[in-house]
Amino acid sequence: MFPNSRLLLAVIAVSVVIIAGCAPKKSPNTTGATGAKVQITGAGSTFVYPLMSRWSAEYEKNSGVQVNYQSIGSGGGIQQFKEGTIDFGATDVAVSLEEEKTFTRPFVQIPVVAGTVAVVYNLPGITTNLKLTPSVLADIFLGKIKKWNDVRIAQLNPDVKLPDMDIVVVHRSDGSGTTYIFTDYLSTVSSEWEQKIGRGKSVSWPTGVGGKGNEGVTGQVKQLPGAIGYVELSYARHNNLPFAAIQNASGNFVLPSEETGMEATAAAVERLKQDIRSSAVNMPGENSYPITGFVYVLLDTQPKDKTKAAEIKKFFEWVLKEGQKMASELDYVPLASEVVEMSLQKLAEVQ
Amino acid sequence: MIRLSRTHEWWRRVLNVLALTLTGVCALLVMAPVFIILIYLVTNGIRSVNLEFLTSLPKPPGEPGGGLANAIVGSFYMVGLALVLSLPIGVGAGVYLAEFGQSRYAHLIRFVADVLNGMPSIVIGVSVWALLVVPMRTFSALAGGVALAFIMIPMITRTTEEMVRAVPNALREASLGLGATYARTMWSVVLPAARGGIVTGVMLALARVFGEAAPLLFTALGNRFWNLYLDRPMASLPTQIYEYAKSPYEDWHRQAWAAALLLIVVVLILNIVARVSTRERFRALR
Repeated sequence: MFPNSRLLLAVIAVSVVIIAGCAPKKSPNTTGATGAKVQITGAGSTFVYPLMSRWSAEYEKNSGVQVNYQSIGSGGGIQQFKEGTIDFGATDVAVSLEEEKTFTRPFVQIPVVAGTVAVVYNLPGITTNLKLTPSVLADIFLGKIKKWNDVRIAQLNPDVKLPDMDIVVVHRSDGSGTTYIFTDYLSTVSSEWEQKIGRGKSVSWPTGVGGKGNEGVTGQVKQLPGAIGYVELSYARHNNLPFAAIQNASGNFVLPSEETGMEATAAAVERLKQDIRSSAVNMPGENSYPITGFVYVLLDTQPKDKTKAAEIKKFFEWVLKEGQKMASELDYVPLASEVVEMSLQKLAEVQ
Repeated sequence: MIRLSRTHEWWRRVLNVLALTLTGVCALLVMAPVFIILIYLVTNGIRSVNLEFLTSLPKPPGEPGGGLANAIVGSFYMVGLALVLSLPIGVGAGVYLAEFGQSRYAHLIRFVADVLNGMPSIVIGVSVWALLVVPMRTFSALAGGVALAFIMIPMITRTTEEMVRAVPNALREASLGLGATYARTMWSVVLPAARGGIVTGVMLALARVFGEAAPLLFTALGNRFWNLYLDRPMASLPTQIYEYAKSPYEDWHRQAWAAALLLIVVVLILNIVARVSTRERFRALR
């Protein structure tokens, strides 16, 4: 009489069976008689998500350990790690000293990979890499340089026929580690920027329009002739957007790449040993790209679950050794060997 | 008797035609978004819906292929869990409201159910995070299912109430007159008569939660791997679409389209089933 309600009953019955079948068993942490695999949960930085997925897939092939990483944003990663709902957090911005005091458990933050932020633009007919100095870049984002054919840009790029076009600044509308690295850089090179705007995951931009996420900024720049924005290198490359060569601390104009980013990480190692929160922007070195930042993972140093902790430790050891090779394939910056060594020492603090 | 002038009459006809056309166009515009969405999803997604997409696990960027089998199963699992949790509560509450709905307490319940119904789903997600994820110290399929159940409960409650109330009193009286107890009357007469309508409400609630990403982001989190445990993170189609659509990779965009198409097909089927069972209800009541 009521075929649909019978269907509904069937659905309920099946669901009950499935759930009843799974519920009583508490999921095991180690591979045991049940044959279930160890699963480690991490979350945080959106930036590192593709690479983490890659690491996770490769690592599972050899070890059988499943590392489930979800991108909820760096801030989310720190917050969830603090609440203890995940096994490790990942963030593009180191946990500050102030923030660290609010944590109830001891933990370490370890650089696992780095990335470069590219300055992308959309100028009809121009596909070459423009040259920009730190002060010109800061003045563009401060809204002081308004035209693409401004004499200060033209002087740097005598070979390029710059159009008489308004500059439209595109920035992130959401809080982001990319914004932190970019504004950290601008604050380092321009005292005016540092005083007026400062550094942060979201700042009050003096000019321009907002886009959500790297994909949002990429899309805006692609559609708006005259636009300039900042995105992670992989978004620039995958969308064929031209990006600028930025003058570094040694005076050379350098493009973002795996090599130039790696040189920046090598130059940062001494500062990192002093303070893990030190930034890697505007580092000295012939070819170091100045807008480079680290991705850190957050780990408990005195975890309750020792077997799981041992697996987490093994995974990150592998990430720091084998895993670095995969970084450049996905447009990330592998850590210089000095930084890897320092990170491994930090990892040893996990008991 | 006043005779209308010719121009007046002519003007009225023009107005009539104009108004008819305008409202007709508006009616067409109502359908337009549905067709636009369907056309977009089919043209972008159909090529990527294949056996690999339906049966394999996600692959990392750089390796083409892979699928969303775990997210498909995860979506059904958590929606099923939500159904098991919300159906008894929703139907029970609905029967109470329909049969004893005049008390102050009942008015309060009705009001609270309506408030819950209008609650943004992200708020529900965050609340369940505090309620279950933090104490359990892990994101879990259970938390995801509970969050979805929170959305379904008021929907099922209100439809059940309406449907039980629509059952003619004569049926109740006949049953009681034959000597059946009140409980027997409810169980064997009233509820079966209202069943078609309740099924409709449940199907619509299922269709609604099947496409929800917001309540799952902070509860089920997501998972790259297979999971059938209640106390572990679990993948779902809506969260996976969100994840893939914002990535820089073409292959993931492709799969996001395919997942969106799959999602909309399931939602459409649920809606059609709801429609058919509504017709069933009217036949039953005749």
